[in-house]
Amino acid sequence: MSFEYFLSLLVFSPLAGILVLSFLPKTQESLIKMVGFLATLPALILSLIAYFQYRAGASLESLSEKVSWIQFGYSEQLGNLFSIDYELGLDGFSLIMLVLTAVLSTLAAIASIHIKKEWKGYFMLFLLLEVGMLGVFAAENLILFFIFFEITLIPTFFLIGKWGYFEKEKAAYSFLIYNGLGSAVLLIVIMVLFARTGTSNIDALMAAMSADNPQLVAPITENMKMGMLIALLIAFGVKLPIFPLHSWMVRVHVQAPPSIVMLHAGVLLKIGAFGLIRFGMGIFPDQFQSLAVLLAVLGVVNLLYGAFLAFVQTDFKMVLAYSSISHMGIVLIGVGALNEAGIQGAIFQVVSHGLIAALLFFLVGVFYERVQTSNIQNLGGMAKGMPITAGFLLAGAMASLGLPGMSGFVSEFMAFLGLFKEMPVLAAVGTIGIIMTAVYLLRAVLGITYGQAHRDFAGVTDMKKFEFVPVLVLVGLIVLIGVYPSVLSEPLTSTLETIMLGIGG
Amino acid sequence: MSAVPIQAYLALALILFCIGLYGALTKRNTVIVLISIELMLNAVNINLVAFSKFGVAPSITGQVFALFAIAVAAAEAAVGLAILIALYRNRKTINMDEMDTMKH
Amino acid sequence: MMENAWIIPLFPLLSFLFLILFGKRLKEASAFIGILLTLASLVYSLLVLFERLTAPTYKAEGVWLTIGDVQLTAGFEVNQLNALMLVIVSLVSFLVHTYSKGYMNGDDRFPVFYAYLGLFTFAMLGLVISPNLLQTYFFWELVGLGSFLLIGFYFYKEEAKAAAKKAFIMTRIGDVGLLIGMILLFWQVGSFEYDEIFAAAEAGSISAAMITLTAILIFVGAIGKSGQFPLHTWLPDAMEGPTPVSALIHAATMVAAGVYLVAALFPLFTASETALMTVAVIGAFTAIFAASIGLVQKDIKRVLAYSTVSQLGYMMLALGSAGYVAGVFHLMTHAFFKALLFLAAGSVIHAVHTQNIEHMGGLWKKLRLTGPLFLIGTLAISGVPLFSGFFSKDEILIAAWAHGNTVLFWLAVIAAFFTAFYMFRLFFMVFAGEARSDMKNVHESPSVMTMPMVVLGVLAVVAGYVNTPWFGTFLGDWLVEGNHSLGHGHIEGPAWIMAVATIVSLLGIFLAWLMYGKRSLSRDWLTSRAPLTYNLLYNKYYIDEFYQLTVVNGAKFFSAFLRFLEVFLIEGIVNGAAGIASSLGKLGSKFQNGQIQTYGTAAFVGLAILVVIYAVTGGYLK
Repeated sequence: MSFEYFLSLLVFSPLAGILVLSFLPKTQESLIKMVGFLATLPALILSLIAYFQYRAGASLESLSEKVSWIQFGYSEQLGNLFSIDYELGLDGFSLIMLVLTAVLSTLAAIASIHIKKEWKGYFMLFLLLEVGMLGVFAAENLILFFIFFEITLIPTFFLIGKWGYFEKEKAAYSFLIYNGLGSAVLLIVIMVLFARTGTSNIDALMAAMSADNPQLVAPITENMKMGMLIALLIAFGVKLPIFPLHSWMVRVHVQAPPSIVMLHAGVLLKIGAFGLIRFGMGIFPDQFQSLAVLLAVLGVVNLLYGAFLAFVQTDFKMVLAYSSISHMGIVLIGVGALNEAGIQGAIFQVVSHGLIAALLFFLVGVFYERVQTSNIQNLGGMAKGMPITAGFLLAGAMASLGLPGMSGFVSEFMAFLGLFKEMPVLAAVGTIGIIMTAVYLLRAVLGITYGQAHRDFAGVTDMKKFEFVPVLVLVGLIVLIGVYPSVLSEPLTSTLETIMLGIGG
Repeated sequence: MSAVPIQAYLALALILFCIGLYGALTKRNTVIVLISIELMLNAVNINLVAFSKFGVAPSITGQVFALFAIAVAAAEAAVGLAILIALYRNRKTINMDEMDTMKH
Repeated sequence: MMENAWIIPLFPLLSFLFLILFGKRLKEASAFIGILLTLASLVYSLLVLFERLTAPTYKAEGVWLTIGDVQLTAGFEVNQLNALMLVIVSLVSFLVHTYSKGYMNGDDRFPVFYAYLGLFTFAMLGLVISPNLLQTYFFWELVGLGSFLLIGFYFYKEEAKAAAKKAFIMTRIGDVGLLIGMILLFWQVGSFEYDEIFAAAEAGSISAAMITLTAILIFVGAIGKSGQFPLHTWLPDAMEGPTPVSALIHAATMVAAGVYLVAALFPLFTASETALMTVAVIGAFTAIFAASIGLVQKDIKRVLAYSTVSQLGYMMLALGSAGYVAGVFHLMTHAFFKALLFLAAGSVIHAVHTQNIEHMGGLWKKLRLTGPLFLIGTLAISGVPLFSGFFSKDEILIAAWAHGNTVLFWLAVIAAFFTAFYMFRLFFMVFAGEARSDMKNVHESPSVMTMPMVVLGVLAVVAGYVNTPWFGTFLGDWLVEGNHSLGHGHIEGPAWIMAVATIVSLLGIFLAWLMYGKRSLSRDWLTSRAPLTYNLLYNKYYIDEFYQLTVVNGAKFFSAFLRFLEVFLIEGIVNGAAGIASSLGKLGSKFQNGQIQTYGTAAFVGLAILVVIYAVTGGYLK
């Protein structure tokens, strides 16, 4: 944590893997997989070092990096008008997201062993995606954030389009179109902010927007702020996804390979929540308050809509996709509550759903690998042949439906705790979602594992050794957060204080 | 020799240009279209030469440009005819209406 | 001892973790690990109880989670109720662990069964030492998980799968009520701690309407867990689980959690007369409602299940009538005699391999130990004097009468009559009459199964004597000691109540004897005279069908409607937008026909128009 380019090294470390991979012959399957896996480790180790040092009392500010990059425009009073710097830095929230990304990347690299073809290209894109994701959370600057944000789109497009299932191309295109439109809207917001304030540094923007008499290049009206916040809501709402912008996400979750869905559901969707909390809430606190009710309503709609749709799906992947929509509703509920409990719940849900979705999609991959279907009606009685996998699937479902002792409960509980304080009636409507979550998850999971098998699954083997690694790590983390939530809440304290100060609560 | 007024030159050039434009836009035969383009270029040349003599600040530059234009027109005609011959060998036609493979 | 009471739930947790990890290798030896560790819990619980008899309440807490300025705590508390519950739970759990060694012998997933039992016991023990509502909810849900896993133990049976799912979902509906009530209470009080909630309720810092609302919402949680009407339907279906599980979960511990919750929050309920009344009405209605269904069921475990529902209704009635001691007392005696009845039923099933009582008969002579033990349980539940159930039921009736719930009192009396009748109907049909020919080689269960039954049999007789109007009300006095909000240790009631209760239960037994013992009354009396009533009762008032028709189909219909929206509206809008973009493009590409002369004409016309505009306006830039 002492040396100068710690964060840059962390963010760009997967590039070393890409470099090594480019010199390897295409046919060396196991070597390529090994390099792909190893290349994710430096980021993991470095992020864990940062986490534990922070828990031990070290300050995160010493990690910040700043290198001058582009300057232009000059005025007598203000000096250099526009400057874009290469700035990396962390706070509690982004540190947690960074650790989550690094952990899930390593686990997804292990899960990538199920990939059947063209490992070289796959792992190069995979590592590039990791760079993008790490960068998104480490960027201290909106323009840098946007660049990393775009970096995540391109590898994901190819990873879905080339290594996915039957309708992979369609899924990849709808992913790209939706997210491309989303990031175009985001770019507009960033450019307006940049043009009016002359800076794109997040902290400087927060200060400029909350100051009574800020030094701006050009004035920003209240309407403009509201417009920008709504644009941000759309941009990140596509990512999250918020009803009714969700249909691309269902397609991606069904068609993409399991290892990519792990990352997609685990990290990429969370960029939406991250952006909403950090930029939406951080830069436009006053406007955010006036939208809080809308967000909470959208959250409840998301929660119920996803839950009811998950209830009638026949494909387990579809169930999980709609369940993701439903669970992102809880993030919105927490954000909409706009008090400590709610926001903390939302952040917890971001992490918790990341872990749980990764676990469930990995297990879907394990099943699919063996029986070539994820259709509930074709499965059944799998607990007989694959008791361990079935047990973990049940554990994942329990975590997802918010069983105490697992991370899902803590986040769900806090989000609802927050909302009940502000809007009890809406929250009470939302609790129907808690029941429905149990209904659709048990229907799906018991449909797969319990009862009579619909066809003969003779010769189906249980989990192999390497498959235990991601499952055990994920279950371990889920239980850890569920039993001892301070691992998350303590690093978040200062971030939450900052946010609450901005809101004025 | 009475001096021919500039209006006469310009009128000639205009008539020539219009004939050329009409030919270029309406004729089906590619050779005729190429000839029409030559007519338009020549109309320009007449203008250039006329203005080099009767312009606000008469100078030799206009005549030099006219020579340039003649050279470029010759080159253009050569290239155009070469393309046309290549096309004719492939498609057995010099009809403009049938040369639409680059649409969409 | 009390300072370390937190260790009690950890023994079964250890058993769960150990068996889930290494159970496969241990096979049958898993039983010993489970039994030993629950024995450790039992011994420790007994020590804690003995210490608590004299020592004051002990409570220890630490910070679990910080939200802004609020600190949520976790810890444990040993008060009278908790200490008593610790012993009841760990005792029944220990006995069931022992019994299961014989009952589950030879099952492929023997270690898994013990692991689940450990998890369940852990959750239940954790529940009863929770010092705050949040922690209670935490373990409350884990108890639900344990029950779910055990009901669905025979996972390959479709019925078990459905029953497990139903149990989890029905109880979760109740849990949501508890969750809402708990959170609303939190924002009123600023804490989940029981002590602070009671203090706030007493100080009147919560509005009366809010107390009523939260108390009723919390009671909804208890309705779900304790199988009270209208969320009772999961409990009889839960009999798909192995019989020892029914004894542990659906008789002695988990379903008692609802009663325990109301008892633990008793001061909150007493602060609102409406809430108390709700509890009492639901309890009394459930008592008679379930008893009437129990009259005609044919499955031995289902009869017992409905009797459980009915008895839990009794406990709720007691609590709702401000009879704290009566409720807790009946909870304790019921735990013993109902566990005994289930284990004895398990022994019968083990011997004859059927659960249909119409296929049984004449087992008294073959099962020389199970028979008398079953009879003890039956006598106790019927409220025959000198058995434990008599004293606790009497307390409940007195409490209901003393609280002025006359209608509910008479309902409870009728329910007591029903109970005596259907329990002895069960007894006579199983044990009396002719032995059936296909039950030649029926033999008594091994001693590992009968020993726990003997222990429970003894308790079913003597447990009542800790709180009797004749020899002193030790239990009652101890339970309310130092806490005036719990009411009196003993409520004085008119002596005729005891007589009425005795007469009613003896009448029930006599009628059952006439119909099924002596057979001087036809068995088909109800079937032939009132087939409609019989069908209504036999089909459990068609409640399941009603739910299926309304709630389940409603949810399905709503989901289908949303899917319709999703496919046609949302996808439609998206596809529409894409369609508009591409058709605009198509329209534009029509102009690109490849005719260079057309392009030239267009360019020329455009130029001409511009020139005309220029000429008319005199230029854009003047």
